[in-house]
Amino acid sequence: MFMKKAALTTGIAAAFMLASAGGASAFTACQVTDVGGIDDAGFNQTAWKGVQDAMSSYGIDGRYLESQSETDYEPNLNSLIESKCDVIISVGFLMGDATKTSAEANAGQKYSIVDFAYDPTIPNVIGQVYATNEAGFLAGYLSAGMSKSGVVGTFGGINIPPVTAFMDGYYYGVAYHNSQKGTNVQVLGWNPASKEGLFTGNFESLDDGRAFAQNLYDEGADIVMPVAGPVGLGSAALADELGSDALMIVGVDADQTQTDPDRAHVYLTSVLKRMDSTVMQVIKQAMDGSFSGGILLGNLQNDGVGLAPYHHFDDKVPAALKAEVEEVRAGLISGAIKAGG
Amino acid sequence: MGDAVSRQEAGPRLIDWRASVSGGVLIALALVVAFLLDTPWDSVSTFRISRPRDVWAVGNLTVPSQWFNVAASVLLAFLGTRLFLKGGGRWTAVALGIGLVVLAMAFLVWATAGKAISLTGMLQATVVRAVPIALAALGGILCERVGVINIAIEGMLLAGAFAGAMFGSLMGGWAGIICAMITGGVFGLLLAALVITYRVDQIIAGVVINLFVLGLTSYVSSQVFAEYRWLNKASPFRSFKIPVLGDIPLIGPVLFNQNLFVYGALILVTLSTYYLFHTRHGLRARAVGEHPRAADTLGIDVIKTRYAHVIVAGMVAGFGGAWFTLGSVGRFDENMTFGRGFIGLAAMIFGRWHPLGALAAALIFGFADSLQQKLSILNTPIPSEFLSMAPYIATIVVVAGLVGQARPPAAIGKPYVKE
Repeated sequence: MFMKKAALTTGIAAAFMLASAGGASAFTACQVTDVGGIDDAGFNQTAWKGVQDAMSSYGIDGRYLESQSETDYEPNLNSLIESKCDVIISVGFLMGDATKTSAEANAGQKYSIVDFAYDPTIPNVIGQVYATNEAGFLAGYLSAGMSKSGVVGTFGGINIPPVTAFMDGYYYGVAYHNSQKGTNVQVLGWNPASKEGLFTGNFESLDDGRAFAQNLYDEGADIVMPVAGPVGLGSAALADELGSDALMIVGVDADQTQTDPDRAHVYLTSVLKRMDSTVMQVIKQAMDGSFSGGILLGNLQNDGVGLAPYHHFDDKVPAALKAEVEEVRAGLISGAIKAGG
Repeated sequence: MGDAVSRQEAGPRLIDWRASVSGGVLIALALVVAFLLDTPWDSVSTFRISRPRDVWAVGNLTVPSQWFNVAASVLLAFLGTRLFLKGGGRWTAVALGIGLVVLAMAFLVWATAGKAISLTGMLQATVVRAVPIALAALGGILCERVGVINIAIEGMLLAGAFAGAMFGSLMGGWAGIICAMITGGVFGLLLAALVITYRVDQIIAGVVINLFVLGLTSYVSSQVFAEYRWLNKASPFRSFKIPVLGDIPLIGPVLFNQNLFVYGALILVTLSTYYLFHTRHGLRARAVGEHPRAADTLGIDVIKTRYAHVIVAGMVAGFGGAWFTLGSVGRFDENMTFGRGFIGLAAMIFGRWHPLGALAAALIFGFADSLQQKLSILNTPIPSEFLSMAPYIATIVVVAGLVGQARPPAAIGKPYVKE
């Protein structure tokens, strides 16, 4: 990240953008994105979709500020305080400290943060967290069933819990398939025991996404799950070039066949993290007065996380495997199977 | 005069001091290899050379892990002790260079103990990752050799990437490359106008261009590309194999089965080396960068020479930028060059403002980058954050340790005012 900072701390302010629904409505929801941008075909975009959905369903106003670097978090939050937002939603684990500082200084302001749970909780902040390990588990099980080479891979953006939760689930999903079906599928790029693995160190360089996927492919992987926001689009470009017989991609955050339609045919499925749904719930709570600080957990049971449809691979995934994935889902919801291994 | 004398006196002592430090570093590395990179005696590191679809298959390269590292440790200790006791003179850099290569190999063998990795893939990635850096460095060299500092390289890369994606989507790949080069050239012209004609501080002008390009491309990408996807879906150039040569094991895939940009970068490096050091025009350009007044006296048009080179440098950077979209992923996203331009500037300095040197530096960065990826995949106990730093650390160590004092063109950063 530091090269980027070098370019930016020299004086750029955050790109200030307004996306107003027009007209003066009673309620305004404001969002601060993480680096990567509002159009990152993943994380920031999905969270913004929650605000957009609320705009069309509840007729509220919505606006966002993009953070160009980590130094923008606090200035962005501060400038929203001045512009009278009813609820401020910050997107991303990395904004945890900045949001806490801002929330404690402005106790009357409602906040919510995607991907961060405060312990102890802060009375005016709802932390939205997701059991992405459950959905990742399903993707891992599916990948283990689909891999012909017996090797699958994953890599992340930065080694932080919201990223590694996907990778944990993926790893244990593959391991569960191995134990149930007697297979010996190997996972490259993540070791849940040592908490170390393959990371690009950024959420921006698409070229890294291509290079890292190429590396995993060179080591035999025929399915790769990039957990690095738009960086994964670079991996999809490689899969497109190699052909989806050679390399398939598991998308993350949003259904990537929708956010990256030009390369839809390379996505085996996507691990959904329904930030849009939880963001909308938070806005609703802030509107009807039921807002209280704490944690909002999205999991398989409340559809806060899930697995996207197979789309282009619908014919290629065997019916038996599809049924097994459903059984595993039921097992995870009932607690019979533990996603944490 | 007094200055020259004191420098001469300091000379030999300075070299000895470097040799001792380098020797100490090598001995420390020998200890690291001997004691930290420990593997069972019977384990073997396997490096795969051939890949499934290769024409001429070659067996794997297997190395007994512990024996290799004992040998590496002994070699490092020998080089280190010799440097430390006897001094190295001009061999200091060579010995340190060999030491770093041995260290990298020892790490790789240690991490691969009992496992297998694809050596061909790793070297291929080295070349691929070096391309944008080498092109950025080349853009820097062409500019700085005539005395203009080019901090704007990063912005030119980003502009090239942007133009490549947009025009590549509209009119096809080749048109995309040409438009990326034109765009780079336009920013070169802007830089030239600011610093040559209006004599703005060269660093500040460069930073301003970087920020301007970042802001503009991010805005268009989030506001326009998000809406009109067809403006941002170029098809990247695929790699093509040069007949026969491309089938040679190891070397073939690394050098002769790459895409247009890799060949282009190699050709541009060769051409610019020839141009700068073996032609009359190159000599004149260097004269402008060293002593513009003398060049002017001899009838060389300093202003025109500088303009021409800064614009060409922008075009080279634009070509390098097109790599990110047309040579790699086929679409533009915010800040996707991610500081590669600055790494290119470091490569330029490490390469002593020489295209071949810069290419070598870029390859070192590329190698360190693919090495850290392999080490991460192989589940080494080294934290991933440290591994991500590896390419940068390698660049710093090499610049500080091997290059020592690099001398930039004398007239760099100074605007030329004709009397």
